[in-house]
Amino acid sequence: MEKKAVIIVGGGPAGLAAAVELYNKGIRDILILEREKHLGGILRQCIHDGFGLTRFKTTLSGPEYAQRFIDEVLEKGIPFLTDTTVLDVSEDKVVTAASRKGLIRFQAQSVILTMGCRERTRGALGIPGERPAGVFTAGVAQAYMNLYNRMPAKEVVILGSGDIGMIMARRLTLEGAHVQAVFEIQPIPSGLPRNIEQCLNDYHIPLYLSHTITEIHGGSRLTGVTVAQVDEHFQPIPGTEKDYTCDTLILSVGLLPENELSIDAGVQLDNRTRGAVVDEHFQTNVEGIFAAGNVLHVHDLVDFVSMEAEALADSAAAYVTNGPLPECPVQVIADGNIGHTIPQKISGQKDVRLSMRVKRLIKDCRVVVRQNGEEIAAKRMKKALPAEMIQILVKADKMTSTGDLEVSIEC
Amino acid sequence: MKERYDVLIIGGGMVGSAVARELSRYDLRIGVLEKNLDVCYETSGRNSAVVHGGFAYDPGTLKAKLCVEGNQMMGQLAEELDFPFLRCGKVLVGNTDEDMETLKRTLKQGETNGSVGLEIIDEDRLHELVPAVVGKFAMFSPNSGILDPFQYTIALAENAHENGADYFFDHEATGISREQDGYVISTVQGDYHTRWVVNAAGLGCGKISDMLGIKGYKIIGSKGDYIILDKRTGPLLPMPVYPVPSNTYMGIHVTNTIDGNVTIGPNADMVTDFDYYGVPQKNMDYLAKSASDLWPHIHKADYIRNYSGILPKWVDDNGVIQDFKIEIRDELAPQAVNLVGIESPGLTAAVPIARYAINLMKQREELKEKADFNPRRKGIVRFESLSTEEKARMIKENPDYGEVICRCEKVTRAEILAAIHNPLGVSTMVGIKYRTRSMMGRCQGGYCQMRVEQMIEEELGRKETEVLYARQNSQVLFGKVREED
Amino acid sequence: MLREFTCIICPNGCELEVEIQDGKAVSITGNLCPKGVTYVQQELTNPQRNIATSVPVKGGELPLASVRLTNPIPKDKIFEAMAEIRKLSVEAPIQAGTVLIENLLGYDSNVIVTKTVEKKQG
Repeated sequence: MEKKAVIIVGGGPAGLAAAVELYNKGIRDILILEREKHLGGILRQCIHDGFGLTRFKTTLSGPEYAQRFIDEVLEKGIPFLTDTTVLDVSEDKVVTAASRKGLIRFQAQSVILTMGCRERTRGALGIPGERPAGVFTAGVAQAYMNLYNRMPAKEVVILGSGDIGMIMARRLTLEGAHVQAVFEIQPIPSGLPRNIEQCLNDYHIPLYLSHTITEIHGGSRLTGVTVAQVDEHFQPIPGTEKDYTCDTLILSVGLLPENELSIDAGVQLDNRTRGAVVDEHFQTNVEGIFAAGNVLHVHDLVDFVSMEAEALADSAAAYVTNGPLPECPVQVIADGNIGHTIPQKISGQKDVRLSMRVKRLIKDCRVVVRQNGEEIAAKRMKKALPAEMIQILVKADKMTSTGDLEVSIEC
Repeated sequence: MKERYDVLIIGGGMVGSAVARELSRYDLRIGVLEKNLDVCYETSGRNSAVVHGGFAYDPGTLKAKLCVEGNQMMGQLAEELDFPFLRCGKVLVGNTDEDMETLKRTLKQGETNGSVGLEIIDEDRLHELVPAVVGKFAMFSPNSGILDPFQYTIALAENAHENGADYFFDHEATGISREQDGYVISTVQGDYHTRWVVNAAGLGCGKISDMLGIKGYKIIGSKGDYIILDKRTGPLLPMPVYPVPSNTYMGIHVTNTIDGNVTIGPNADMVTDFDYYGVPQKNMDYLAKSASDLWPHIHKADYIRNYSGILPKWVDDNGVIQDFKIEIRDELAPQAVNLVGIESPGLTAAVPIARYAINLMKQREELKEKADFNPRRKGIVRFESLSTEEKARMIKENPDYGEVICRCEKVTRAEILAAIHNPLGVSTMVGIKYRTRSMMGRCQGGYCQMRVEQMIEEELGRKETEVLYARQNSQVLFGKVREED
Repeated sequence: MLREFTCIICPNGCELEVEIQDGKAVSITGNLCPKGVTYVQQELTNPQRNIATSVPVKGGELPLASVRLTNPIPKDKIFEAMAEIRKLSVEAPIQAGTVLIENLLGYDSNVIVTKTVEKKQG
């Protein structure tokens, strides 16, 4: 079986950034495995601009952002295989993949999981009603329009105020469809404020908070949906039902890390993120298997995906060169206001950037990190939104390697 | 005038297709008129997919007799027709003294019906069989099993087609009239002439029976909703778990599917609208709650889809559910085989039902066996089910096996191509889904549906606006974003 | 008059409170950086937006090449801009960065290709 120092599963933004950084750290024996015809992952269909402000200090479209990394991969001659689907990653890091050229197997020293995420579906939400054509997740509608040149909609209702849903509201409107409204079950939007402004408000598309779809109608193509207001327990309030006639329902109701390969490899997942439990090296519980990007936790911005993958690559390079990485005995624990933190485990001996999301809108607060009762890092937030990922740097000289890190929100 | 058939079967579901397949052993011109665009859009594709043991029916009924026969022959049928079937057994779980009484009675009834191997087992044995089940004891039926209802129906239909039966989709029968030595069946696509008619219309059996002049059958629908769970749950459930049944309703059960998912359901709502397959919220909540009493692994995070199905039940004037009716009424409709109220266990019993019906024909007309009848049919090879070595070999022989189109179910281009060029000529998205499992996994086509749609366009030369999802008028796309030339 | 704005310049999406007199901003609070001030002034006088869409590619390995504007244009010209872009069609191969329309509708903004599309093989 052919050996590889590092196999990267997925050539999207995380995989590309990891590959380039590994190269920069002197690792040459790399192979990126990408199931699509081209590198770039989901960015290829995200043709709107707004990417790269943090990473490149300029605003780019998704394809351009991806191309910056692809160009580096090409320039450096980093090996990659496209049209190649990984079928299995084993605990001992044997990677099996299929392509038209045949079934290939590699023994990897290290495997980097950068498979990204998938969209939550209608079935996963359990939306009641019939199952006609015309119910699409936002990403599917986006792929039809931006990659396949196919128009999936005329009269549209959108459920969920995720960023892709709002971006598709604008995209559909620009191409002649009529978007009647966006309904969000939560009392606050799940996407970024700028997208509400430039994708909905600009086009006079109303956003109804605390509303959900209670029934889908149509035996063939969608004929309409019933919408109702919900109470604080997200239960529809009787008497508030309203019918909307439409041929298309777009769902933008959340993203889920795609960890089927990780599970096969024996990687332990975190129930909150549905991604791997990782330490500060972005290493999973399986030595030599690393994860970053949306497969680890769903990010708000691709810039942070790239940066996380670059941090991962630094550790993976050290692992490949020097062997096992330092132990990470310190657990990172979050209070009830915080959904999760990444990483979940640290050494206490190295600067670490904690990523997290709040569970609800909190105004005028501080994100505080404590160890053994002492405040060791804090960040003041005017407004903490679930839609935004919060990052906070904790310096090594403030930490010890005993005692959990406790992250909390204080008002 | 269109050619005249010896037999026209109305309805191409599993019973209609079983009749077509069993009749295609004989030297007959056979046609199947199906109102939908594929063979398993209604009851045949919307059920629990359980092969029943035959213990839950009144002794002496056709349901009991034909179910036991069907159960016995399912292994051979699966082998001949290449559809997935697993004789995994099943348990009916009880807790109270009353449950025990019912189970003992059920066991005895089963033995009378000819169902073999039934036993009452204690809690320890129950937990050996199904570790997580909630219950104090159970009746174990080792010969019960599960199958893929889509592949099963498709296999019967394809084998019938290979042996000469013509399939006509989008051919709803709208009227039947008598003519010299036979019938004219009017459909939305024109008239068809035939000597014999078989009413295998499932939910439409009452309507067709009326058209034949055999009036008065009262058919009600029993609508059951289901929730499908992620494949993560499959390994936790080695066999279906049922509550203690009555002879007319099996109760909400938890069923492992042949592909490794788990389904929960069905409730049983009496309905008169046989076209409405919506699943209401309250039923989903009820299913989850009821099924959790049997099996504790039901979490909303594992939901991937819900569906519903309707069983056509023949009831008397008092609403009491009746047996299968399989008849030829020479005085009212000669040369017409009337199948009424074919509900559960119709899946298990489909081929025995067909043979029973054909025997009625044979009592009236000599049927000549064909020398060249081929009982075997080959399905689409599932890449994912192969060993690493076999996968490598398949790709070498046909590179299309190396292109994974559906990531969740790992369905390759080769399989989707085979499905698009299926012998019956079905071209809907759901038709491809039923034949390959693409779009059936946890992402529900998020990754592959565009690819499948594009392949349908390319392979069949369709415009994007002509690609249908499932039923008539279920257009998937409205055109192009930009005109190409 | 007090009006609220959501700055769209970067993902921070600052919520700005703006005191307006005679159509001009006299005080702006809530912005994390000076871009917020520029944004509000622009919004009050002449709101600007960027758009992204696609153009068909003849003989390409992909049917569409994505495009965007190099600079934002007045918000109320978006549909006019779309109408202009809709007239375009390109031939493969086409490189990312290629300018398809210079000074769109007379503004200091070009329509550029954002995705390279190679020729279809065979």
